[in-house]
Amino acid sequence: MSIEFTSLASGSGGNAYIVSDGNTTLLLEAGIPIKKLKQRAGFMLSRIDACLISHSHNDHCCGSRGIMQAGIDIYTSRETAEAKRLSGHRLHTIEPKQQFQIGSWTILPFDVPHDVLNLGFLLANRSRGKLLFAVDCFYVPYTFRGLTHIAVGCNHSRELLRESVEQGHIHPELANRIRKNHMSLSRVQDMLQANDLSRIEEIHLLHLSNDNSDPDIFKNETEKQTGTPVYIA
Amino acid sequence: MSNQLAEIKKNTVDVVTQKIKSLESNGEIQFPPDYSPQNALRSAWLQLQEIKTKDKKPVLEACSKTSIMNALFDMTVQGLNPAKNQVYFIPYGQQLTCMRSYHGTKALAMRVDEDIGDIVAEVVWEGDEFEFEIDRGMKKVVRHKQTLESIDSKSPKGAYCLVLDHKGNVKKSEIMTWEQIKSAWKKSIMNPIQENGQIKSNSTHGEFTEEMCKRTVINRACKPIINSSSDAHLFKAANRSEQVQAEQEAEQVAEANANQEVIDVEPAEAEPQEQESTEQDQVNEETGEVQQEQSQKNEQATGTEGPEF
Repeated sequence: MSIEFTSLASGSGGNAYIVSDGNTTLLLEAGIPIKKLKQRAGFMLSRIDACLISHSHNDHCCGSRGIMQAGIDIYTSRETAEAKRLSGHRLHTIEPKQQFQIGSWTILPFDVPHDVLNLGFLLANRSRGKLLFAVDCFYVPYTFRGLTHIAVGCNHSRELLRESVEQGHIHPELANRIRKNHMSLSRVQDMLQANDLSRIEEIHLLHLSNDNSDPDIFKNETEKQTGTPVYIA
Repeated sequence: MSNQLAEIKKNTVDVVTQKIKSLESNGEIQFPPDYSPQNALRSAWLQLQEIKTKDKKPVLEACSKTSIMNALFDMTVQGLNPAKNQVYFIPYGQQLTCMRSYHGTKALAMRVDEDIGDIVAEVVWEGDEFEFEIDRGMKKVVRHKQTLESIDSKSPKGAYCLVLDHKGNVKKSEIMTWEQIKSAWKKSIMNPIQENGQIKSNSTHGEFTEEMCKRTVINRACKPIINSSSDAHLFKAANRSEQVQAEQEAEQVAEANANQEVIDVEPAEAEPQEQESTEQDQVNEETGEVQQEQSQKNEQATGTEGPEF
């Protein structure tokens, strides 16, 4: 079975995605409270085998405690665990570039630049499916081979962000922070350009900003560039 | 002389140019995107070479370097250009000053308030039909009918200025009576008003009364707009250039570091499958089908063993 990627929540209000290959189901990010997660995941919640968390910002891990209490193991960096004071037998700390196995998935975490330590994940399964997952990063420092699925944060468009500042909707300093901590559409396009997309099946654009992005444009532009179905989370 | 000029230029225009550049790069001063301080300074330099004092001395020789620099600086920070008659350089003794013309005032008002589409002024002459009323505290010109004869009367009764938006609707209006205009002119350094209340006929105000009336009422209407503005137009320009700068900085860092090293997960495809299958067998031995088979065998064994006892 190929990879199934579902978005339960995306954006600065909270992030939670489910990725499954039919054997093992993973929750990527725990950025919504467990109660909401239960509502949104429905029957899928019982199928979740483990949860990966990228970094310690609340929109990515506020539900981590509840998730551990629900009996789901969490995999995250030591820094994130310390920042969120997570501990116990449900916590597994992972290191950048040290791959590990959860069920049918082999997972390689890698560091991506953000204002706190942040991990991206490269997930490969037995049926040669390979998912790149990276959110809340300035850019992705690495390139990858044979990706079948890409799920990346695509926060803003440079032009729309500049417009928001000019119109006084957001403070210039905040705009600068956004620029250095999130990928713009053009940076995502550069990334797609730099990677081998010969086996690509699906692209998911995540974490779109409410004010500084346009889902239709993002979808169309990316589909035009890659000739691959693009989904906006 | 040319050497002397070059020396003066070096001590004035070049100093101001440098200062403006450094202020601009530090973000301490910002210009509207359609304004080039360098062009304005160049035009100013050309004009300054022609301007003479009352005693027919070139201002570049007669006026102090500091006052020349200040005049050039004043012009530039207001974003005005002498080539468009937005400012005039006027020497007073050793002091060169930069006077904003009403064209400059208009340009500045329209820049600080983007809703302004145009600023117009008219003189009301003796014999004109002119009516205005006060609507919610604002003077509003209701009717103004002029005839060629009334214009030729050459005796002004007042003047008014209308600040229009882009659709031509009146945003604001200012009306001045002839007496008010004259008392404004009395404050002028040129003071064209004689003791008897008449205008000196050989003065600029006497020769170009209509234009001077318009200028006065336009200044009166625009000053509050300019003075009560928040420098927002400068900030807007500032934001724009800062944004572009910040964007480029971020872009450079990203371009230099993004999408570099190739990393991959170890091809754990075949191995985990085998491992998993053996694991599954083991797991199943404990809990699943395999165990069932064994227990069945056991049962069978006991079953067969049973009857022997």
